[in-house]
Amino acid sequence: MQEQILRIATNELSNQLENPDIRLIDVRPVDAYNGWILRNEHRGGHIKGARNVSAKWMNYIEWIEIVESKEITPEKKLIVYGYDEEETERVARQFMKAGFPEVSVYHRFVDEWSKKENLPIEHLPNYGNLVPPVWLNDLLSNKQVQDYSNDKFVICHSHYQNRADYEKAHIPGAIDLDTNWLESTETWNRRSPEELKKVFEYLGITHDTTVILYGNFSHPTYDDPFPGSSAGQLGAFRCAFIMLYAGVKDVRVLNGGLQSWLDEGFKTTTEDGKKHPVTDFGAEIPSRPDFVVDLPEAKVILQADDKNLVCMRSWREYIGEFSGYHYIEKKGRIPGAVFADCGSDAYHMENYRNLDHTNREYHEIENKWRDLGITPDKHNAFYCGTGWRGSEAFFNAYLLGWERISVFDGGWFEWSTDEKNPYETGIPEHIQ
Amino acid sequence: MTINEIQDQIINDLSSRDDLTEKYRYIVDLAKRLESPEDNLRSEENRIKGCQSNVWIRTDYNDNKIYLWGDSDSLIMKGMLALLIRVFNNQSPQNIVNADLYFIYKTGLNVNLSPASADGLIAIINHIKKSVEQVMKN
Repeated sequence: MQEQILRIATNELSNQLENPDIRLIDVRPVDAYNGWILRNEHRGGHIKGARNVSAKWMNYIEWIEIVESKEITPEKKLIVYGYDEEETERVARQFMKAGFPEVSVYHRFVDEWSKKENLPIEHLPNYGNLVPPVWLNDLLSNKQVQDYSNDKFVICHSHYQNRADYEKAHIPGAIDLDTNWLESTETWNRRSPEELKKVFEYLGITHDTTVILYGNFSHPTYDDPFPGSSAGQLGAFRCAFIMLYAGVKDVRVLNGGLQSWLDEGFKTTTEDGKKHPVTDFGAEIPSRPDFVVDLPEAKVILQADDKNLVCMRSWREYIGEFSGYHYIEKKGRIPGAVFADCGSDAYHMENYRNLDHTNREYHEIENKWRDLGITPDKHNAFYCGTGWRGSEAFFNAYLLGWERISVFDGGWFEWSTDEKNPYETGIPEHIQ
Repeated sequence: MTINEIQDQIINDLSSRDDLTEKYRYIVDLAKRLESPEDNLRSEENRIKGCQSNVWIRTDYNDNKIYLWGDSDSLIMKGMLALLIRVFNNQSPQNIVNADLYFIYKTGLNVNLSPASADGLIAIINHIKKSVEQVMKN
């Protein structure tokens, strides 16, 4: 077994970049990987082809399971790079200890790779809409921050009828936002334009306010009477989607929600953030009606070759083992929808998140979707039971810069309410 | 042995391992040695809802003692099951419901598990305590 960690130079790495036997590992924070400049690098993003295994995850006992879930296996030679030499080598040694026979490190990302424009770097197209906690902390400290030139922002702590969650701990200055203010409590669809306008004005949000949303994940279980109350980050994505539909131009989500804020050691408060109501939202609602698909259009999408109705429910909901919700009786799926598997149930998105609740590496999402035929050349309308998981998937597509994207707002709830709508149960033939 | 004596044993076992890799190997080894019942444990009835990975638990009750069976398709969650089964098996329902699971904090598992796995662990503990409460009611 290799005893010393080999160091490689910029030209060596550049020459190896297309070598299929090499796997490049970026151990910087997920947000740096996505595109944020966290250490004065000349260009944000990651070296083309690199996979993200953030050094932070070494603090988790099941680190190797994270590596395995990314299909990073010892057959390939690893080249590990990061911001900090010591941290990079610590991760490299961890790989060696886990049985990876050939591990090298590259230490010139910031001072060489990012400076040479001819060396390829990639980033999440709309990384600016998925913000790191340090960015938000700097914004609150009145520091100059990357990718922000506005003079007004509102931070919203999203929750579902659980103000106690906000009262217990929230980011200083954040106001609370109950998802019920934006969603009808009968249909669980977006509220009417008039209702949305009133809520935004009450919250102090105009169409040109920068809104930063986050939530708190506090162990939702199906046995709870209201599991959504513990799935705050999912609620934040739902609110982000409705704001984009309404016409808020600059909507951002804190990557990882309150968890990532706490992981950085930033303080929370119990003191209510002050709302500054405004008199006019300042734009027609909805400004982006194309972001929403309702039932008649969903049926049209099912018949079209260049459109996908994308099911973001869990496997057991998809095959009709259970409805997923206390208040939905009918079990089954919409025939013809593309199944994109959220994770375990209606209140979890494990297949689209890292184990620290940050968004999953975007290449992994893209690849998963590509395998399912969910590609940016098509119109993709995401749905779930009532819209939360569909909204998180929508936001992932939005971050990828996809233009033809929507949420089928009614989802399985609305579809299953009308007995005339067809449905299927069991494992479909094309998957068996 | 009492629940607390078993917890102290686990704390000793884990604290003697130097780093997280060694602790992980210890937990995975427990997972691999976890007994399965003769009949199928992986039924819909035994599945815990709200875990990041598939987890199945069955609670048997005999002679005022609880006996738990568990399985998971994730090694770390199966390891957590193995630890909890070691703590709870052959204990009375009353003792299980009242148990303070301090080994989770004293071994550092509460901070060394990823938030998603910690979420799963809480779901498992809640499920076990609820199913044992159900046994007491019946």
